[in-house]
Amino acid sequence: MFPFLLFGILAMFPGSAWAVQSHGAPEGLYVHQFAHIFYTAALCYLVWGIRHTVFKSKGWRYLQVFCIFMILWNVVAFTGHSLDTLVDSASFTNDAGYLSTRLEGPFTSLKIWYYFTKLDHLFSVPALFFLYLGMKALYRNTMEGKEV
Amino acid sequence: MTSLPMLPAIIVDMAGSFIIIVLSFLSLRYAWLLIRRQPENFLWGFLFYFCLTLVCFSVSRALGHLLKQLLLIFNYTEQWHILAPYTGGFNTLLMISLAAVSIYYHKGIEGYRAIQKKAGSLKIANEQLEVSTDKLLKLNKNLEKIVETRTKKLSTSEKKFRNFFTNSKDMVYFCDSTTRIGTMNPAGFEMLGYSMQQTPELGLKDIFHNPEDLEKYTEALTTEGFVEDMEVEFVRAEGTVIYVLLSATALFDEDRKFSGCEGIAKDLTRVRTMMKQLASSEKMASVGQMAAGVAHEINTPLGVILGYAQLMMDDFGPESEEGKNLEVVERQARACRKIVADLLKFSRQSESARENILLNEVLEDVLAVTEHSLNLDHIQVWRDFDEDLPTIVGDPEKLCQVFVNFVNNARHAMEEQGGGDLFLSCHYEKERGQVAVTIRDTGHGIPRNVMPQIFDPFFTTKSVGKGTGLGLSVSYGIIKEHGGVIEVESPVQTEDGELKGTALRVKLPVPLLESAAVTNDNHREKSKQS
Repeated sequence: MFPFLLFGILAMFPGSAWAVQSHGAPEGLYVHQFAHIFYTAALCYLVWGIRHTVFKSKGWRYLQVFCIFMILWNVVAFTGHSLDTLVDSASFTNDAGYLSTRLEGPFTSLKIWYYFTKLDHLFSVPALFFLYLGMKALYRNTMEGKEV
Repeated sequence: MTSLPMLPAIIVDMAGSFIIIVLSFLSLRYAWLLIRRQPENFLWGFLFYFCLTLVCFSVSRALGHLLKQLLLIFNYTEQWHILAPYTGGFNTLLMISLAAVSIYYHKGIEGYRAIQKKAGSLKIANEQLEVSTDKLLKLNKNLEKIVETRTKKLSTSEKKFRNFFTNSKDMVYFCDSTTRIGTMNPAGFEMLGYSMQQTPELGLKDIFHNPEDLEKYTEALTTEGFVEDMEVEFVRAEGTVIYVLLSATALFDEDRKFSGCEGIAKDLTRVRTMMKQLASSEKMASVGQMAAGVAHEINTPLGVILGYAQLMMDDFGPESEEGKNLEVVERQARACRKIVADLLKFSRQSESARENILLNEVLEDVLAVTEHSLNLDHIQVWRDFDEDLPTIVGDPEKLCQVFVNFVNNARHAMEEQGGGDLFLSCHYEKERGQVAVTIRDTGHGIPRNVMPQIFDPFFTTKSVGKGTGLGLSVSYGIIKEHGGVIEVESPVQTEDGELKGTALRVKLPVPLLESAAVTNDNHREKSKQS
């Protein structure tokens, strides 16, 4: 009875209400970065989990390698996203179109790291390759009736 | 170097994106093959969902990157700025999903291992169960075999004892503690004259003739535990008494309490009768020998007395006193000679003829002589003669004498009561090879105490002067001479019960080759005479 009474009284004296919180532009980036952290932590947990189970076949070892590469990729991607905000757009020139875009000097460590992080596929492709190898090895073991 | 080209990064980005899509799909394919091969395996389920999420992430990210590069290459910068937040948002979402799926690995594995452990335990338990079931099956099979063998043995044994019980010619019975007969074999019912269906409550007290015997029997069972070769008399259903040899064993329950008995009874009535007959015939033989000796010794002086008496009668006139006295001497001497002749007949010392005889004719001759006097005494004669009787070999006159004796005895037995019935029957008993003649009267019968003496010479129950006591003795001697037997029943036992009177049964053998036997006999007679 009391909650209904309270609700009735409050409804009779309405004031300003800001129930919906507005989100600024950086929030998307933060969420994305948190997702990288969350994904990295999950991969670390997966590696730990695989190492602590009885599964010792080649397939599981490949899966561990996949996790490590993916962790590295996460680190690179996280760094890359962070450096995006730090490198000024004036540092780039593209007189003859997008493909001719160049990173202008002077080259600080920030710019060099930035350039390096743009090559993040050098980690993600090997990671996926090891995942492929791992799945293939597990399938073969299963087909041959071997221990997985 | 004043600047670095971004082209290598662009190329790596585009090529890498493409390769990632391909590799992620290849990985998903293997995960799908694994899950299809072992659908129940948690690991393959986890890897499948992991690869699926990774494919979504790779496709989202790689396509986003390719789109970005292409839009920027073709100078659609504005459009990319519009699309960029969407691809980024999708990437973030799928990356979180990928992380979430990864986290479940460990817990999933724990659950999987727990299930595996349980499955292992179940498998072991199942294997043990299978082994136990196998053992149980073997044991069961073995048990079935043992039971089958035992049942077979038991059945054989039961059959054997059942056959013994059913087919035994002696009475076999089982009694409870109150001496009520619970079970008895068919021979027992037959021996006692009861029907198997009509005697639900038959007790030993109903079949023991003397209650003292039953008392002794029960006492011996309870004290000694058995009864061996006890001679007792049983009463048949219709009231006749039979002599049996009884052996029984007491039955005791777990508390060593008398619970009943099992016994065997052998009917000795026939044996006993035969023994009596044997003893009687031995006695008659010795009496016959003695009588023959006495007759021979008396015959000579009797002949001298008769001779001298006749000589002296010639010297004195028949009207003189001496003549009359000598006549008395001669008459009495002749009477003595008849007695001596009868004694010789009894001892079978007299000669006899041998010829084929039809007993019906002999009996008719006997009745022709005696029927008149029988009618005078109000005695009704009943005939029952087989028409196709075989002939026997013997002396018709002697046999006639025998039957006249029997008829006269019957008449004497019935004349006191003023008449009666006389039954004469003559039957051929083919299986025994003999002809049986029965002469039964409805007179006063023979007292039990005199029964053993009736064939003794000079034994008579008639008053002095009415009989010499040689009639039955002579008859006995004649029948013996013919190879036959005489049986006496008084009172007469029939299927309908006991009848008043006496039955004399003469059984005479029928020769296998009648004519040959007579021819040989005649030949012997002739050679004797020559």
